[in-house]
Amino acid sequence: MSTINPVHPPLRKFPRKFIRWITIREHLTGYLFILPAVVIISLFGFFPIGYAFYMSLYNWRVKQGPFIGDDNYVKAIGSWQGAAIFTGGFMLFLLAYLLWQKFSAESQVKRIIAGVVSLAIAGGGLWVVEQGWEQMAVKGDKAFLNSLPITLYYSLGSVPIELAIALGLAFLLFQKNIRAKELFRMIYFLPYITPVVATALVFRTIFNQRNTSLANQVMGLFNMGPFKWLFEPKAFNQVFLGLQLPGFWNGPSMALTSIMIFGVWTFVGYNTVIFLAGLGSISREYYEAAEIDGANKWQSFRHITLPLLSPVTFYLALVAFIGTFKAFNHIYVMRVPSAQGTVNVASVSIFDTFYKANQYGYAAAQAILLFAIIMGLTLVQNKVFGKKVFYG
Amino acid sequence: MDNVTNEKTRIRREFRLPLLRIPWGQAVIYLILTGGAIVAMLPFLWMLSTSLMTLGETILRQTLPKTPQFINYVEAWNEAKFYKYFVNSVIIAAVTLAGLLTTSILAGYAFARIHFFGRDVLFALLLSTMMIPESVTMIPNFLMVRGAVVPLPGLVEWKGSWLNQLPALTVPFMANAFSIFLLRQFFVTIPDELWDAARIDGAGHLRFLLQIVLPISKAPVMTVTIFSFIGSWNAFLWPLLVTTNDRWRPLMVGLWTFVSEAGAETQLLMAGAVIALVPVLILYFLTQKHFTEGIATTGLKG
Repeated sequence: MSTINPVHPPLRKFPRKFIRWITIREHLTGYLFILPAVVIISLFGFFPIGYAFYMSLYNWRVKQGPFIGDDNYVKAIGSWQGAAIFTGGFMLFLLAYLLWQKFSAESQVKRIIAGVVSLAIAGGGLWVVEQGWEQMAVKGDKAFLNSLPITLYYSLGSVPIELAIALGLAFLLFQKNIRAKELFRMIYFLPYITPVVATALVFRTIFNQRNTSLANQVMGLFNMGPFKWLFEPKAFNQVFLGLQLPGFWNGPSMALTSIMIFGVWTFVGYNTVIFLAGLGSISREYYEAAEIDGANKWQSFRHITLPLLSPVTFYLALVAFIGTFKAFNHIYVMRVPSAQGTVNVASVSIFDTFYKANQYGYAAAQAILLFAIIMGLTLVQNKVFGKKVFYG
Repeated sequence: MDNVTNEKTRIRREFRLPLLRIPWGQAVIYLILTGGAIVAMLPFLWMLSTSLMTLGETILRQTLPKTPQFINYVEAWNEAKFYKYFVNSVIIAAVTLAGLLTTSILAGYAFARIHFFGRDVLFALLLSTMMIPESVTMIPNFLMVRGAVVPLPGLVEWKGSWLNQLPALTVPFMANAFSIFLLRQFFVTIPDELWDAARIDGAGHLRFLLQIVLPISKAPVMTVTIFSFIGSWNAFLWPLLVTTNDRWRPLMVGLWTFVSEAGAETQLLMAGAVIALVPVLILYFLTQKHFTEGIATTGLKG
């Protein structure tokens, strides 16, 4: 050995054994440091997943009953075959999307053909989804199955709106020469940090069915209403537009729409703050370069801000989407009997099965199903949209 | 020359309002921003106004009470037992925070600065817990705190169950991936020279952590503190499950049981909601800048 390690020359003086002891001690210290956190997280975070699965295989009311295999799952979803067909339909949507993406950069003829083919596949997917759903609905648990489209309404109805409003507000706040930026940011953020139970209780009185409730007073200014808001199980569509569409397409109930408004009100501020930080991290030079090239405000927003902001948007969309699928507190608090279960998203429905009906094993099975759905959606979202994110 | 024409077009574009001297474009922006602020604030004002009404006024829904009934707060505090729930919430938040800081500072440090076997895999595994919905964990955890799964440590008079006891409300929240992640991200940025110097002086990891690292980590520790406090203060689903009596019932569950038990006394309910809001608001105003920045950076890095 002609070269000596210049950084740690003294170490060479120690015997090998001693050095090994040092590294072992280092490892041990590491494990010791993480031990308390790992114990708690394993006990209350990981272990419950396994245990919930174990419970879901038993006829477990308050006490553990006999082993019943997949009966709880079948009871919830009707039949595995229906669920498989249903999921397959969604896979077709995905396939259609991927196909369309693949040819979007090709020549116009190919693009049109690809577009037609993917539309056809998506249409087929829709049909397959419906077939699967009908099979599931025959024997499945109405309360649980209905909670899935309700969750979807809640998600799709609130996440895009809240992101769009937040982006708009952040963009306006980010303009030069705007005073009291901090004040605005602080006010927008308030709904997010204040206790959700307290604010949801406030919205329960705001969206009351009485003529004198705040929501009806505001609507009165536009010569509309009064509406029953949280107390209205009829679809939003029906109440506002007088439309009656079949099944799923009829949309969320008025009660759920009111809860969505609450959701948007709560989360816009959070998204605004993060969008603001994202806007701040975009280098000014891009805008200056664009200005020299003669780009107008809209063009630089469209071609600089939006792409460079896409990681932030993606992150927020993912968090918000998962959040809506897990949402419980405010929906539970804003739920009134007259809404007739039209606001029971999956987590609320699971809670009812668990807490009201005391069917622990069955509730565990439903929770596992919800978890699987969340994981699947996250995966798809990552695979499909993650690619389109532009990391500066 | 170019500057001059630029200046001219700028002035022409920004026709100024006579008094305010604000360009038109900006006036529109301010209008939208203020509109947003009003929407964000209105429910709070409504809550405040309702909390000062008489019962009759809450039913008729006047916009403002004729004479503010501050007595509502006294009544909510004493008779609706919100003082008890308030104290419970404070204790729960404090105990949870103490536990959380201990576990997550140690773990965050280890994941950032100690090399041990399987570190990165463990860290990734830990982060994956952030995706688990509460619906899945609540059922087994409920059985667990009732002592039905593993024997629990505790006093004899608890009869092996943590139901309605302080540990049920605190222990499960004494560690979370988010706090560990947040602290780790900061600890990673501490220069190695500091550690080398400390090691030469004979310090081990624990002393280095306590005497050197922590004093310069006020910002992330503060962020974790705020998040933890607000998290336990606002918690609802889990406390609802594990408290069946007043003994440790926190404020949020107290508000909810007030709705279902007392029903129509909206003014007291709103007074209770204001009481529930105040600590969070105080904390928020004291740490406002730090707070939003903490959220912004963690949000971006997550």
